[in-house]
Amino acid sequence: MRRRQMTDDDAGAGGPLDDGDAGSSAPSVRDRAFDALDRLVAASATERLLISGSALLLSIAIGFLLILAAGRMTSCGSAAYSLLGVGFCYDPFLVYDSLFLGAFGDFLANPLNGQFATTVSETTVLVFTGIAVAVAFKAGVFNIGGQGQLVFGALASALVVYGVSGAVSGLVGTLVLVSVGLATGAFVGGIWGAIPGALKAYADANEVITTIMLNFVATSFALYLASGPFKDPESFANQTRTLPEFALFPQPLFPGRTDASLLALALAITVAVGIAYLLRGTSFGYDVRTSGIQPEAAEYGGVDAARTVVASMALSGALAGLGGAVYVFTIAGNFQTGVPDYGFDGITVSILAGNNPVAAIAAALLFGVLKSGSIVVDVGTDVPPELVGVLRGLIVLFVAMPEFFRMIGERVDVRDRLGGSRDAVATDGGEEA
Amino acid sequence: MTEAVRLDSITKRFPGVVANDDVTLSVERGTVHALLGENGAGKTTLMNVLYGLYEPTAGDVYVDGDGLTYEGGEEPDGDGDSDGLPRIAEAPQRFDSPRDAIDAGVGMIHQHFMLVDPMTVAENITLGNEPRKWGGLAVDREAAREAVLDLSERYGFDVEPDATIEDVGVGVQQRVEILKALYRGAEILVLDEPTAVLTPQEVDDLFEVLDELTDAGKTIIFITHKLGEALEAADEVTVLRDGRNVGSVETVGTTREELAELMVGREVMLETETPPATPGSASLVIDGVTARDDRGVVAVDDVSFAVREGEVFGIAGVDGNGQSELVEVVTGLHRPAAGRVELDGRDVTDASRRERTRAGMAYIPEDRQERGLVMDFDLTENGVLGSQHDAPFAERGRLDWERAEDRAREIVDEYDVRPPDAAADAKSLSGGNQQKFIVGREFARDPSCLVASHPTRGVDIGSTEFIHDRLVDLRDEGRAVLLVSSKLDEVRGLSDRLAVMYRGRVVGVVDPDEVTEEQLGLMMAGERPDPLPRAERVGDAADTDDRKRVRSGVASGEDADAEATDD
Repeated sequence: MRRRQMTDDDAGAGGPLDDGDAGSSAPSVRDRAFDALDRLVAASATERLLISGSALLLSIAIGFLLILAAGRMTSCGSAAYSLLGVGFCYDPFLVYDSLFLGAFGDFLANPLNGQFATTVSETTVLVFTGIAVAVAFKAGVFNIGGQGQLVFGALASALVVYGVSGAVSGLVGTLVLVSVGLATGAFVGGIWGAIPGALKAYADANEVITTIMLNFVATSFALYLASGPFKDPESFANQTRTLPEFALFPQPLFPGRTDASLLALALAITVAVGIAYLLRGTSFGYDVRTSGIQPEAAEYGGVDAARTVVASMALSGALAGLGGAVYVFTIAGNFQTGVPDYGFDGITVSILAGNNPVAAIAAALLFGVLKSGSIVVDVGTDVPPELVGVLRGLIVLFVAMPEFFRMIGERVDVRDRLGGSRDAVATDGGEEA
Repeated sequence: MTEAVRLDSITKRFPGVVANDDVTLSVERGTVHALLGENGAGKTTLMNVLYGLYEPTAGDVYVDGDGLTYEGGEEPDGDGDSDGLPRIAEAPQRFDSPRDAIDAGVGMIHQHFMLVDPMTVAENITLGNEPRKWGGLAVDREAAREAVLDLSERYGFDVEPDATIEDVGVGVQQRVEILKALYRGAEILVLDEPTAVLTPQEVDDLFEVLDELTDAGKTIIFITHKLGEALEAADEVTVLRDGRNVGSVETVGTTREELAELMVGREVMLETETPPATPGSASLVIDGVTARDDRGVVAVDDVSFAVREGEVFGIAGVDGNGQSELVEVVTGLHRPAAGRVELDGRDVTDASRRERTRAGMAYIPEDRQERGLVMDFDLTENGVLGSQHDAPFAERGRLDWERAEDRAREIVDEYDVRPPDAAADAKSLSGGNQQKFIVGREFARDPSCLVASHPTRGVDIGSTEFIHDRLVDLRDEGRAVLLVSSKLDEVRGLSDRLAVMYRGRVVGVVDPDEVTEEQLGLMMAGERPDPLPRAERVGDAADTDDRKRVRSGVASGEDADAEATDD
């Protein structure tokens, strides 16, 4: 009871107001936690940016201390950094400088340098997996299966394009093969996403469980295919045959690199904007948002809940599969097992972006920067890769957590309001206010 | 006079709204005080301040729940207690939570009960404050039972401590709630709309209970928007309007008209005069519908009736007797176990919500905050709900938001929705305004048939009048209206024919102008009063504690409810 009242009160204000904490008697931990959630839910866009910004600074500060501590615990010939007469083996300034700026390489002298290429290619795939998760989230479905959908999308497009590549060549060949590959990836990923969607819609199976299970199925089955029937006979690694160069995504810029394509990035951005429009400007998007936000009202409004769940999961899977195809056509050049965790990173990207498809572009960029920056740290300093991973994890954790708790706060809020709506006539503050 | 509660210049602001504006209220010990006002007048907010759910923006709360605050304490100079009775606390109280309020002797009984259904009466009453034994390791059930028996005897309550909550009637559940508050030492009881879920007979019982309690020195504040009840049960009535106290009057020496004028601020027609209907052919036909609720229990049992064009067909009954499920079957939210639903000659039993809407059925749902509106959407988006795939809003899968905004503006203007802002979130509107918006949206569909479920629940008098007029207008345009309401005045005043539901069955269909309130009350309790034939189920129905037996008896019985299946 109290909880809902507080929420109505606070959430409407959009500002820092908190009657509870001002009290003379100490509120319980539970109440304080709820109050904090309420404040997060009520935060404005600027406040959210400031919160995430401060979280970033805080994570860097903690990482700074970690680097110093780790630097004291190793032995090295000469101190890389000294503070107050104490020498440290690692220089935290250099580490963070490389982590963030390394991702852009020598951007001013040569914007199309190798480091920036890595940043672009990583960002591109993450935009796809990020919006994949966001779309499902909007429909109220938690798609953890992005990884499996991406793996199958990647595998299918690699195989189909290799099969077709003999028939065409040249620029036309590129156009045909890339289109066919993207379509294949989206289609197969979509099917792989629709399965848990249908299980949820018609058999009431929890999508979190089924998508996680299907991730294992996809990864293991892809391993079987890539190490067996479709293995490249000339390679020791478990991978499919390498695609001819004209079958890859065109990279008019970044000379000498096949792994980065501004065209692919442009495609990703277009798709993200398109998805944002789909959600906001179409009848289907209205159905999706309504069922995600308030399923009972969606049912009242004639939304077919089952069909919407299946459709949004299929769309989510298609986007992840598209990401898989783009991964094959830019970074990998074929399908190889051990696909990086783009699907799982997509969950964090989506959370970081507050499930907003357009904001997912920026969130994916942060991930892309950290990924390629950490390569520079590995190469340019003595800091072990494990520690770099810790630093990256700290940043992601700190930046994403406020948004994550905000989402939890919103869910708790909605559930409370729905749970309490029957007595709302009598006691709801919003009613009387 | 001995004050039990004094609210001194309470102001409570919400963002953009002043819910309570400098309200001062004083309640005498041992009396029943009614807090009367339209919905949105700030009654519940004020009581939530008293109960510690809200902190007032300004003003002080004085409560002398136990009557002991200054007994033996130091006397402020000037006014000694000549009557020997304890006086109200001189220091304002500060309630940060209901717990503080309960500690100070304030108990609140919400409209919908907070009881654990599978637990017994005694367990519910002592929940959270159970007597312990074995050094606090175990609940002393026997002591709990004794305590409950003791309490109910002291206040003349008739409750069985070992009965399970789900087996007892609503009236008893309410008493359990009151006992729960008393068990926690409440001296001041706040009841929020206590009569909303009761039959007329149960209301009388409740008022007797209130008498007992005030005789025992308890103080009662009850929130209501029903004039008659305030006059009947209370010693004093305070009327709130737009968050302000517009007057406190003794019930002796005031009239309904006077109170109504205080509430609304202008003269009100208390009786709706509806011209006689000129019904046409059957539009909505319900034929032998049986439906089970979520737990698989038969909630609607072989119900048949027809609503004709140009008539209002009313369904009366105490909440929870199958009306909700029946409405959901009619509107396509719930699949019936048996039976047919026809709309304008077309079988729509298996039609989806969207198909029914397209076929001309509009639906004002019972629960506006759960179903009728998406609370986080603004009014423009909410105006589209139900038509998101249809003209004029959708064209080849794309939504025309400009048109949607125009529609929302039209509804807001025509139905006087406040704030008049199509970009306002639904959750920021008061309940009455939310309801007006839903009514506007459903009427804008230009339906051939309207299903209205509790269309004015929690809506203020002014808006209620307006919604009633619109329902009658719709009827006069030759549309079919199915009206479900637990407000007897409403269904009697508006309906051309009136069915009474009890435990999933239609007890009878009557002429609302001929039937008396007593007869309706009896029918709502499942009995058939004398002039109405076929009283064979009275015996079963009187056994209110054994739903299953009645249900199975009814299901296996061969009684074909001839009355119910008219047309």
